[in-house]
Amino acid sequence: MTERKIIIITSDGDKFPVERKVAEKSILIKNMLKNLLPADDEEEDDEDADEPIEVPTQNVRSAVMKNILEWCDHYKDYNFPDDEQDDDSKKSAPIDAWDKNFLNVDQEMLYEIILAANYLNIKPLLNAGCKVVAEMIRGKSPEEIRKTFNIVNDFTPEEEAAIRRENEWAEDR
Amino acid sequence: MSDMSVLQKACNTPAPTKLDLVLNGSLKSGAIEEESIEESSTVQDEPTTSQSVVKPFLATHLQDQDYTNKRFCYRHNPKVRCDKRTDETKMREIQTELEKLPRRDKEAITHVWSIFSAAPTQHRTLILQGLLSQCCFPQLSFISQEVSQLIKIDFIETLPSEISLKILCYLDCQSLCNAAQVSTKWKQLADDDRVWRYMCEQHIDRKCPQCGWGLPLMAVKKLQESSRRRKFDEIESDSAVEGHQPPLIEAKQEAKRPKTNKKRPWKAVYSERFTVERNWRKGLYKIKRFEGHMDGVLCCQYDNNNLLMTGSYDKTIKIWNVETGKLIRTLTGHTRGVRTLAFDDQKLITGGLDSTIKVWNYRTGQCISTYTGHEEGVVSVDFHEKLIVSGSADNTVKVWHVETRTCYTLRGHTDWVTCVKIHPKSNTLFSSSDDATVRMWDLNTNECIKVFGGVENNGHIGQVQCVVPFSLKDAIVTDFDDKLTDEGDNCGEQQEQSEEDQKFDNPDYPTHLLTASLDNTIKLWDLKSGKCVRTQFGHIEGVWSIAADTFRIVSGAHDKLIKVWDLQTGKCMHTFAGSSSPISCVALGDSRFVCGLEDGEVKMYCFDAQSL
Repeated sequence: MTERKIIIITSDGDKFPVERKVAEKSILIKNMLKNLLPADDEEEDDEDADEPIEVPTQNVRSAVMKNILEWCDHYKDYNFPDDEQDDDSKKSAPIDAWDKNFLNVDQEMLYEIILAANYLNIKPLLNAGCKVVAEMIRGKSPEEIRKTFNIVNDFTPEEEAAIRRENEWAEDR
Repeated sequence: MSDMSVLQKACNTPAPTKLDLVLNGSLKSGAIEEESIEESSTVQDEPTTSQSVVKPFLATHLQDQDYTNKRFCYRHNPKVRCDKRTDETKMREIQTELEKLPRRDKEAITHVWSIFSAAPTQHRTLILQGLLSQCCFPQLSFISQEVSQLIKIDFIETLPSEISLKILCYLDCQSLCNAAQVSTKWKQLADDDRVWRYMCEQHIDRKCPQCGWGLPLMAVKKLQESSRRRKFDEIESDSAVEGHQPPLIEAKQEAKRPKTNKKRPWKAVYSERFTVERNWRKGLYKIKRFEGHMDGVLCCQYDNNNLLMTGSYDKTIKIWNVETGKLIRTLTGHTRGVRTLAFDDQKLITGGLDSTIKVWNYRTGQCISTYTGHEEGVVSVDFHEKLIVSGSADNTVKVWHVETRTCYTLRGHTDWVTCVKIHPKSNTLFSSSDDATVRMWDLNTNECIKVFGGVENNGHIGQVQCVVPFSLKDAIVTDFDDKLTDEGDNCGEQQEQSEEDQKFDNPDYPTHLLTASLDNTIKLWDLKSGKCVRTQFGHIEGVWSIAADTFRIVSGAHDKLIKVWDLQTGKCMHTFAGSSSPISCVALGDSRFVCGLEDGEVKMYCFDAQSL
């Protein structure tokens, strides 16, 4: 039995042929395929079995999709445990070294990967992306954070002083 | 001015009306070298027919409404909020540089920018590719540096708020408080109740595996049914939640629900506990004194709220209001010193050197009943529901079933029984004795099922004064940790699991015991193996009393010192000197500990902010 080909089409029109298990790292695509493809054992005799299934992803551009699919391919044989249950232990776990390296990209790419992982419903990738951003914030002073992300301080000096006092308790532990 | 606006368009959202200005302005006699891409050459002097190329290009792309959507990449689409701000300083620098050039060069450069500005996304990519392919390494290096400065995105403000909150949940409290000072939007998200609720869940009454900090529960505002079993949930009664708090991620709409001002934000809940924990760690405290006993204080219990009870050689029990420091009531009835007491929100049970056990209604001061049976002084009592246990100087433990009015005597210790503790979950009893051992009894059968002691188990060599059974899931530091790494894997004795060991696999049993002894040490025992796995040295005279919670151990000793230890590591965190006589008893609350002294003094060390 040959598996039907799956082709992911990006917002800018690029086509990526992928293995089903790679594509199914995205729960969005997995559910979509579940509806499109009947159960495996029902051997279809119809002629369009050879036709590839095209999956359009309107919000993801090609360069981002290329990265996402690289991630999915890396984890294609890995079953992520159910997210909701032991969320706790995973929350506190440090970023996986491979993920960390994989996400060592410019802020725009990271931003778009996070958005795409959210849209495509790829939780482990979304978690990893969020952890990377958290690491960019961790341990920095407010001014350093502003510098890192190019943020304008929109507080008045009075407000700023009040907010600093409000948060003083966390300093110097 | 128009040069500037072209440049701005090139890197920002195009605004067609303004570009018309550009067209009519500086573009009129522009010169563009159109072959430069293919030839990889730098600026050429000969002007060519650029006017005829540039203008139609601009005209087409600026006017063609169908292109509008294609012209923007997803982030430059006016429908999407663009977060890349114009860097005015940079713009000014560029303008200054431009002004230095001869007019023709100025025009030429401006035209390059205009073309790029007007080009739709795909064309822009192509133009950039062409430009990049002409660059030499130093130029590419320049681009690389510039680009890394330019691609800065305010993730927290521009991502969907549920993702921003998710990111913030990965932070520690100090980083979160810094994040709250960044900007208005950041403050709103970093102060969000859902983030701080999660922080509380991660840290309160448990050690966070990530940062190693745990915060005291401090939940009891009213007397609990049993002060010994409190849960995280109880905090909710005095915090920000109304009813059930939805999980973080799916709570998007919930954020808009009206806030009731009566409830405290989770951030306040967190900061209050954080301050207390930091005071514990730094050893910042204030002492309250309770004066009134006429002779040595032998026992004390603190309900973690506002009630403190002390028993003394002066034959009385005194009940104190912790906030005011005032004596509420003195209970009399024992004919000799009161050696032990235990209370909950209804009753008080005391044991005296007069060999009796008394049950009191401490609200009225009335003694409800007196149990006699021990042949010598009662040194320790404990109770759970309708069960009272007592340890005595007659070397026995007695188990009193109040409802059936039956009493069992447990024999085995060969010297005074100094401390008894019921472990309700497994229905077992632990007793420590002057015979240097601790025994574990099954309350279903009244049989001794384990003895903790002996040289082979690294047991105490002096009288054991106190035993505390507890369960800890986190890894605990033992004396063997170093050895294990040194000797590699062969720790043969641990691999063989005898039948004896399997019997102690019961998940209801406590995992560990803490004991204090007159041999100056505090020991940590592994229940299953029955061996002492950690010995804490530091007191220079016998340890009379210890108390422990999720995070720490407090010990009081004959050397007049009180020490606070980290439960997990066994390290001594603080030593409090300054007491006038030996410490005979200690009690521990979330933010305070109490000690009773042999000269009759009662002191409370308060680590909470209000009293500092």
